[in-house]
Amino acid sequence: MTLETLVADARMRLLARATREGLANVGYTVVDSPLGPLWVAVGPQGVAVISYGDEPSATDLGRLVRTYGPGIVPDARRTAGIARELDQYFNGRRRSFDMQIDLSGLTPFQRRVLRATARIPYGDLVTYKTVARRAGNEAASRAAGAAVGANPIPIVVPCHRVVASDGTLGGYAGGLDAKRRLLAIERGEAVPAGGWPPASGA
Amino acid sequence: MVRTFGELLERYDRELFAYALRLSADRDEADDLYQDTFLAAFRAWPPPRRDNERAWLYRIATNKAIDRSRRTRPRVNLADIELAAPERDSATTLDIARAVELLPPGQRAAFVLRQVQGLPYAEIAETLGCSEVAARARVSEATKTVRRRIA
Repeated sequence: MTLETLVADARMRLLARATREGLANVGYTVVDSPLGPLWVAVGPQGVAVISYGDEPSATDLGRLVRTYGPGIVPDARRTAGIARELDQYFNGRRRSFDMQIDLSGLTPFQRRVLRATARIPYGDLVTYKTVARRAGNEAASRAAGAAVGANPIPIVVPCHRVVASDGTLGGYAGGLDAKRRLLAIERGEAVPAGGWPPASGA
Repeated sequence: MVRTFGELLERYDRELFAYALRLSADRDEADDLYQDTFLAAFRAWPPPRRDNERAWLYRIATNKAIDRSRRTRPRVNLADIELAAPERDSATTLDIARAVELLPPGQRAAFVLRQVQGLPYAEIAETLGCSEVAARARVSEATKTVRRRIA
């Protein structure tokens, strides 16, 4: 028995109690993926954030705190469902996600754009302009591009399937290498055994 | 600045648990103190001063430990105190633990905050809700008592 294990046990009991008492309502964890660590948060309405890296971006965390307050805690149980779905997706065994997504705290336009993005089928590529049209405002393709670029739930809301009209990849929060790899998975190219090497320059 | 309970735990829960062990008779009591401290912090959120969540947590833990020690007779599980200070040689740890156990609660907290946790006097004062001068006096008094007992 070490101090570490005592603290870990105490923390688990504390979080269970805080959750029961309604003091904690968003759970997060860090998921290992072939694209490196992903910081994943699940709120009362579903998956609220997936951030590339082992910490959330300031924007994503700010949105969570504004929407749900400070009760944002490590929680492997609340995040187990999405962690499993992500694992299946990366292994080519899942083409769409069953978990609900939580877009609260975003503007109505951002939500429309992300809902339209969420409907792009597995393996398809569409342009920012198409997403803008599907979100109800074809003229706003630049604004739609910004909304897609600020997608708080990449992978599950598949903004990697949105590309520029000139055929180039456009941008990606996780880096263009990550975008290429996600598209490769969806073309049925297997992830190399043991996962990709750590993404460089991603 | 800490914005979420998760960040608060990741930054401070390990040292707060060690502090709770030093103020408690055994690991179960330390666990209770840890639970009470963080639940009280979550309920009272936000801290009165946003740049010093640490002193605020220590103050909550100290007050809860003092309240409890007024209700129950002190006993110390020496193995659990050693767990919190594994770097010390065990004979010394035992001697100090016995001496610390006999201090009145306020002095015991002051002693542990300074000599074990290594907090600056300003933070100890804030934790104990007294002036820095009083904090120094309390630490010095407690240290003298402990020295005398282990001599």
